[in-house]
Amino acid sequence: MDRSRTRHFFGISWVVLFTLGLVAPGFSRGAARLLDDEDEKKEEEKQDEKEGEEDDAYFAVVGGDVITGTGAVLRGATVLSKNGVIEAIGSNVFLPEGTETLDAGGMSVYPGLVALNASSRISGGLLAAEAPIVAGRDILDHLNESIGRALGGESHVDTPDNRRGDEIGDWEDLQGEQEAGAKGSKHNDSFDPFSPYMTMALAAGITTADQSGAAVKLKRGEIGDVVMNERNLVSFSWSTENPSGIRSLREKFRTTQDYLDKYRAWEERGNKDEKEPPKKGVDRSALRVLQNRSLARFRANDREDLLGIARFAQEFGFRPVIDGCREGWTVADELGRAGAYAIIIARDRRPKDESLVRPGGSKIENAAILHRHGVQIAVKAFTTSIESMGITGRDILHLPVEAAFAVRGGLSNEAALAAITTVPARILGVSQRVGTLVEGKDCDLIVTDGDILHYQTFVQYAVVSGKLVYDKEKELYFAHIRPRPEGIEDELEVEAVEDDGEEEPPEGDGEDDGEGDDEGDGEGDGEGDGEGDDEDGDHQDDDS
Amino acid sequence: MTMIPKAIGLLALTVLPSHAAPRGEGGSDLLAIRVGKAETISQGTLEHVVILVEGGKIVTIGEDLLIERGIPILERPDWTAMPGLVSCHTRIGLEKSTSRSFEPNTNPKREVYPRQKVWKELLELGVTTLGLVPEGNSGVPGQAIAIRPYGDTIDEMLLEEDVYLKMNLQSSSSSKAIIRDAFGKVDTYNKKVAKEREKWEKAREKSKKKSSRSRSKKSKDDDEKEGDDKEKEKAKSTEEVPKEFVPPAPDAKVQPFIDLREGRLTAMLSIRKAGDYLHLLDVMEEEEDVKWFLRVPLRTDIDLYEVADRLGEREVLAVLNTRITLQAHSRRERNIPAELARTGVHLALTPESDRMSSYEEWMNDVGHLVSRGLEREKALAAVTQEPARALGLDEQLGTLDAGKDANIVFWDGDPLEPASRVQAVMLEGRFVTGEVD
Repeated sequence: MDRSRTRHFFGISWVVLFTLGLVAPGFSRGAARLLDDEDEKKEEEKQDEKEGEEDDAYFAVVGGDVITGTGAVLRGATVLSKNGVIEAIGSNVFLPEGTETLDAGGMSVYPGLVALNASSRISGGLLAAEAPIVAGRDILDHLNESIGRALGGESHVDTPDNRRGDEIGDWEDLQGEQEAGAKGSKHNDSFDPFSPYMTMALAAGITTADQSGAAVKLKRGEIGDVVMNERNLVSFSWSTENPSGIRSLREKFRTTQDYLDKYRAWEERGNKDEKEPPKKGVDRSALRVLQNRSLARFRANDREDLLGIARFAQEFGFRPVIDGCREGWTVADELGRAGAYAIIIARDRRPKDESLVRPGGSKIENAAILHRHGVQIAVKAFTTSIESMGITGRDILHLPVEAAFAVRGGLSNEAALAAITTVPARILGVSQRVGTLVEGKDCDLIVTDGDILHYQTFVQYAVVSGKLVYDKEKELYFAHIRPRPEGIEDELEVEAVEDDGEEEPPEGDGEDDGEGDDEGDGEGDGEGDGEGDDEDGDHQDDDS
Repeated sequence: MTMIPKAIGLLALTVLPSHAAPRGEGGSDLLAIRVGKAETISQGTLEHVVILVEGGKIVTIGEDLLIERGIPILERPDWTAMPGLVSCHTRIGLEKSTSRSFEPNTNPKREVYPRQKVWKELLELGVTTLGLVPEGNSGVPGQAIAIRPYGDTIDEMLLEEDVYLKMNLQSSSSSKAIIRDAFGKVDTYNKKVAKEREKWEKAREKSKKKSSRSRSKKSKDDDEKEGDDKEKEKAKSTEEVPKEFVPPAPDAKVQPFIDLREGRLTAMLSIRKAGDYLHLLDVMEEEEDVKWFLRVPLRTDIDLYEVADRLGEREVLAVLNTRITLQAHSRRERNIPAELARTGVHLALTPESDRMSSYEEWMNDVGHLVSRGLEREKALAAVTQEPARALGLDEQLGTLDAGKDANIVFWDGDPLEPASRVQAVMLEGRFVTGEVD
């Protein structure tokens, strides 16, 4: 994209640097950026194609405190979206004629949350089967473990991933499959833009949901182009209780690695007469991982498994995504060295196996310790389901609260926010589009009436691809709980609902701010700081 | 009032052939019916109405018409007349059969058994036209037929075959692919035809050339052998190259989709929720020439109101069952038929289910929708004119108008009032139920 032109066009605008790896220290930063950059190139090509198709649609969120997710907090700033992509962020942004504006005065603006392992009903609607395969296994996993606990022993769900041979047929085939991409995705075809579950997910601040490995954008009222990436995760299983599975996995990777080495050497030699190296035994999934086109996901919780995965990943030079990672804190340094991603449930509680001398079991500091050692932390909810309507407080509607529990365990606020935005975006391979609020990324954001990690905070608005898709006052779910202060509401009624063409400067900004604070949630409103959370965290932690 | 002389004129002149009357008797069967009210659908509610029926058709209808002497008169000033009810999507009277997933070239004609009690019962409720559909809630189960619930054989009952093609469309790759593939096969067939035509044209040109060349040769040289050759050639060419191009016959399952594209057949697209409609547009946007209407079975928590405006914009004909629904995740009532009608959707209502009890409750349910905000005129049209349109029979029935089939239901009050009862039913000029002396 031609950024220089836009900059000159908008006068003084905040140039937010592309500093994605900020939250991840050391080694992981470089690697993460490499990945993101590569993806960005592809994205740029896509966007160039899009341009010029229709009239430009401008949408601006004005006057909120913008927490960009890159470390910068811009007070009273404006986020301007052009055709769903962030055009400018700053305090002095010129709004073109016909810009639809949303006043966020006195509120906070965050990047939309990215939910891992979300129920397929979010994008599939009421009639969809409840759980995606992966998540179903997840619940099974938990069930199994609790049964195991009750019986006083260990129990494991053996995932069949390793056994499924997935040999590639053709190199061209492989490239073609890559090209086919997300457009023909089944998730695009089964997308229900009126799903009430989607509304609820948006109410929880989620704008991107992982639907069995596909990153799906929660656009409302329209279909098409909702899948951003659906091939970024490849699952493998690793369990010390199944040594033959590990052996076969290792064999698979070795063969594939050998093939890759030979192929590269063959390519370098450039000898036309020489035959291509044989693809026998090459595994498609392993190939994707070794070519850095996919991330390998392992479901593991036990120390021995985690160690094994960390070493295996280092041996073959890829970054593992470890789902679960309960005892990760005991081997955090190894995981950090392997550049692992960890998807954790911050409220996971499980006592240590007393028959073992080594440290074990769950620990509230898990996330903090892992993060300190360079592991990128993503937080997921205990259940993928949304059916319980938030009653249990442990479903996907409580993703930010789940992240707040990691803060209670010592994780920084920034890292906790990253754990539900940038890191899951990276895991799903969509960090070039969502996860932070940066010029050039998708305008997927949420406007909240306080710190997103505070249990009292409500999402007031959600915006996806530069369109307002959720307004708390207009949906039946939470409108009645702590209604939006009247002064603000009235103004928003005017502003938010289709005001094509007219440009009203937001009036009485200062006043509304005051009002918002008075009638709103008391201290900590819009400040985005940790003090309040930790206190409030206490309440909830008592029962867990 | 201006109608009076006209009516008299008509009465004097009309000797209509009584072709379509199930009665089938010779001679004049003119009958005048004087009722208190008539819901004509096309011209609203009329009072003090005279309906003149002959040969199974309505000859004329109007307020306070003079009736020529000698014409038998049925005086029922307490009655309200309305067109016979049309249920355009049902399987009542049909046995449960195996669900069909892709049988676009079939229809349920062979599943219909005449002489069942159910047909008589339907007539008694005022249902005079039925659109029977094949079983199947996915894919393309087949075509619908239109019948009158009267007659001793299926051919007597049958009004029209292949009135619309039922297609189920859901938001899923496989469901969308079924319909895309079906139209894709038409493209393949068209290509094949084009190829054949090219071949034929070439062959024809060739044979023309040859014959002309040999003719010229013959004039020059009278060699017998050549003459023989020529004759042979001629015989060969007439054998191989027909004068008219005959396109290869398409597959039976492709034919319906060709008919759709060429406007000979209408499609009924059945969807389950609002989101499906967007996917439907996604599929059908490539098929601009195909005429289609919509069917949405209303479930309690359906979210169809989400696309009410979009449906209204296109003035879609939507077939719904008669039901008040709830907004998802709440107890808020939504009168979806009323909401759709307000946006400009053409509404056709069917009974809640295919059971007899639903047919008994049908007009009650419609009345319920009206009491909850559905416009009265639209409600009445939704059980007569609009479903007739869905069946492609709107030229023939569905309103009380001169020239239409005399399918008339006589009520002892407002048809939408729960206390009202059907007093008599006329099917194509003949009273099939009710005490009329």
